[in-house]
Amino acid sequence: MNELEAFYEALFFIAEKPLSSAEVAELGGVPLMQAEAALDALRTELEEGGRGLRLQRNGDAWQLATAPDLGARLATYAAREEARLTPAALEALAVIAYRQPCTRGDVERVRGVDSDYVIRSLLHRRLVAEVGRRDTPGRPAIFATTFTFLERFGLTSLEDLPPLSSSAAAVAARTAIEAHGR
Amino acid sequence: MPLEPIAIVPEPGFRLQLPVFEGPLQLLLHLIESRQLDILTVPLAEVADAYVAHLATAPVDAGNLSEFVSIAAQLILLKSRLLLPGESPPAPTDPDEPDEEELRRRLIEYRVLRDAAAALGERDLAAPIHRREPRESDLPEVPVQTLSAQLLAAALDRLGAIPEPVAAPPEIVAREITIAEQIEVLHAALSGRGRVLLQTVLEKCRTRTEAAVTFLAALELVRRRQVSAEQGTLFGPITLTVLRDPA
Repeated sequence: MNELEAFYEALFFIAEKPLSSAEVAELGGVPLMQAEAALDALRTELEEGGRGLRLQRNGDAWQLATAPDLGARLATYAAREEARLTPAALEALAVIAYRQPCTRGDVERVRGVDSDYVIRSLLHRRLVAEVGRRDTPGRPAIFATTFTFLERFGLTSLEDLPPLSSSAAAVAARTAIEAHGR
Repeated sequence: MPLEPIAIVPEPGFRLQLPVFEGPLQLLLHLIESRQLDILTVPLAEVADAYVAHLATAPVDAGNLSEFVSIAAQLILLKSRLLLPGESPPAPTDPDEPDEEELRRRLIEYRVLRDAAAALGERDLAAPIHRREPRESDLPEVPVQTLSAQLLAAALDRLGAIPEPVAAPPEIVAREITIAEQIEVLHAALSGRGRVLLQTVLEKCRTRTEAAVTFLAALELVRRRQVSAEQGTLFGPITLTVLRDPA
């Protein structure tokens, strides 16, 4: 591990909130490209070295967090008394997770039902957040998943989302999903 | 979060427990899968009867009733087309007309979503990732400034120079004495024999104020002609005597 990576490891250890790539570059006093390369190296090192920590990424932001496979044992210390999500909430969350950023309309179109209530409950639980407005009539809010989402589901980044079912039908549907509304 | 109540579907001969369907796609998919039909090839009209029957007998989420009815209408139209004899009808040109392939595509899309949601649900809180929680403090941020230990020692010295606070004396609340109260006292003293030496009443007073007010009370009784006062000699004893009502 070089000095910059060690510096970033220490920086994320003391950071109380996620840091953007730009902040990390500035704090390291290096260009953005170099900072991101160091973060990637640190992330790989933590993962492949079997360490207890992971560098978690959500969009442009990074944070140091625990390895997913330690979650259950750590829960005895950092207990979160939360109820599991209902099927309806999971469906709405899945649309947002796989198609983000997307609007309430996108969620309702796929689910075929009104989803105002479940989306508000996801917002309330901070599993999704409003990240802007779409430039279409009504300027609907667009939603994306949060670090809280990644943490709850034990994901180091969105790349760790379980793959969508890969049957021929699913492939056809996925193409349709991607073609629709884009 | 809406619960998923279990509804009892009354059917002749047996009772079947089914979840309440939140939306039409969920119900349609359930009807197809429970009949082990191939979603890619089954004419959707085949499940129209089952769909309408379910809608008529079993509870569905009332909030989405219009969605259920809209899909029911599409299914019935698809079925009526299927029953028409002769050549197959032309493809619909009106965008509002139900398009079987569009509905099938939505069903498949919904199924992908439902499976993804189920996979996600498997992970829900299963192996959560933890992070450092922000330290909680109500205190405002104090600007960091390097201080010398001398400052601390000097501060301690100054503390030594400050005298211990003197305990505050117990608070004294002046007791209010009214003429009316002292009239009652005099009445009580007079109630026995109808006369009393004012001096014996005054001797029981605990303060000068109480004595003065008692004296004023005696004068008030005289003024009201309820008692008479007699004093034989200057500074001598004063005798109060109750005057009988003329009535």
